[in-house]
Amino acid sequence: MESKKLDDLLRVIELCRSVERSSVNPFEVDIREKIEILRRHLPEWKFLDELLLDSEAMLELAQIIKLQDQWLKHRASSLYIDPLLIQLKVKLLSKEELLEAFIRSWHPSVQLDQLTPKGLERAFIYWLELTPLSERFKEEFGNFGTRPGLVDYEDLVELKIFTQEQFESKLREIHSELLEASKDDWVDYRKFIDDEAFEKKIVRAYMLAFLVSEGRATLKTDPLAGTIWVRALKSKTPGEPRSVAISITGER
Amino acid sequence: MESQERALLERKLRKAFQVLLLQRGRNPGVKGWELKRHLGREYRKIVELLGKEISALGLEVFEVKGPDGTEDASRFLLRFKEPPTLSEAETSGIRIDDLAVLAATIAFINAKQGKAGRKEVEQFLRAKFPKWRVEYSLDRYVKKGYLEQDDRALMRVGWRTRAEVDEKTLMTMILSRGTNEVPPP
Repeated sequence: MESKKLDDLLRVIELCRSVERSSVNPFEVDIREKIEILRRHLPEWKFLDELLLDSEAMLELAQIIKLQDQWLKHRASSLYIDPLLIQLKVKLLSKEELLEAFIRSWHPSVQLDQLTPKGLERAFIYWLELTPLSERFKEEFGNFGTRPGLVDYEDLVELKIFTQEQFESKLREIHSELLEASKDDWVDYRKFIDDEAFEKKIVRAYMLAFLVSEGRATLKTDPLAGTIWVRALKSKTPGEPRSVAISITGER
Repeated sequence: MESQERALLERKLRKAFQVLLLQRGRNPGVKGWELKRHLGREYRKIVELLGKEISALGLEVFEVKGPDGTEDASRFLLRFKEPPTLSEAETSGIRIDDLAVLAATIAFINAKQGKAGRKEVEQFLRAKFPKWRVEYSLDRYVKKGYLEQDDRALMRVGWRTRAEVDEKTLMTMILSRGTNEVPPP
């Protein structure tokens, strides 16, 4: 029973809103009937939410009355023409005729769009005082906004991720592992670099990329199947190296 | 004393013309409160005088009432006193298709009691113009202030149309044209 009463209110609100949203005649809403519904239910509301909903319905009805007022004014003005007639007329007219009708009722506005010495001066001062983009958000975000770039071996040593000795030994280790795994045959690249820890997986991929660059391993790709194969080489191979971009994700 | 007053008036007239002519922001014209700031409280008198001065040049100062109807919210702009000729309009680089879309949209919205859904307008225009042209032109005219579109995609005639277009003349012109043609079946 309670929900039926609330439904009545919601229906009134929804009806009013749908009329406001479209170009439907606002006189289609029977204001007297809707107010009667609100009046009937008003003494039964107990909670604040119900009262708020009631006042919202009343507000929507007031909006409809406002629309009715505008509707009457428009119909009484000389701008009112039967919509069907105007649609038919516009469909019949050529673009040129529409253009001519528009031009004969058009008073273009006049304005000058140009720089003034004062404007130039203000712009110059603004430019002088403007902090460079690289400095502007540093305090708030630190170096978070730095664009991605390339990290080479020297950078890694400098960042103390590797020492010279560690890097060489790790490289030899990966090469031996690949030799062992491939045994002169192709090995699945993704399986080879896989590791439980994503960081280790990245390091393995990086080391392997180094081996390939040095010619101590080679890659082949199957673009259709999306597979990448890798094989260890005992000695450096001659030939023109090619660059292959491989994305690595945390998925296993 | 009189010459001082005359000099002051001339200076204010010059200032009023410059303020109205130079573009500020995206829209042409200036609000009443801005004119008051530049010309003082008696700015309406200055604007009226300026109107008389520029009449000889074929221009006029036009006032578009703001939403609350106050003088401060009104927008004042310079506009052609008489509509341009077709050849004058063509030399300003306007596309026939673009203006025809605007003319048809204004007529349609007026016929629909001053508001129409965007989809409804698009459907109406697509009988005559390609889809891409309709969408492009409507967006452009909304941006320029000739049309308004609210968050419920309802379209209305914009303030700039009220400033530049004599809507009654436009409707009359549209209705009085093409009377000899027969609609297609």
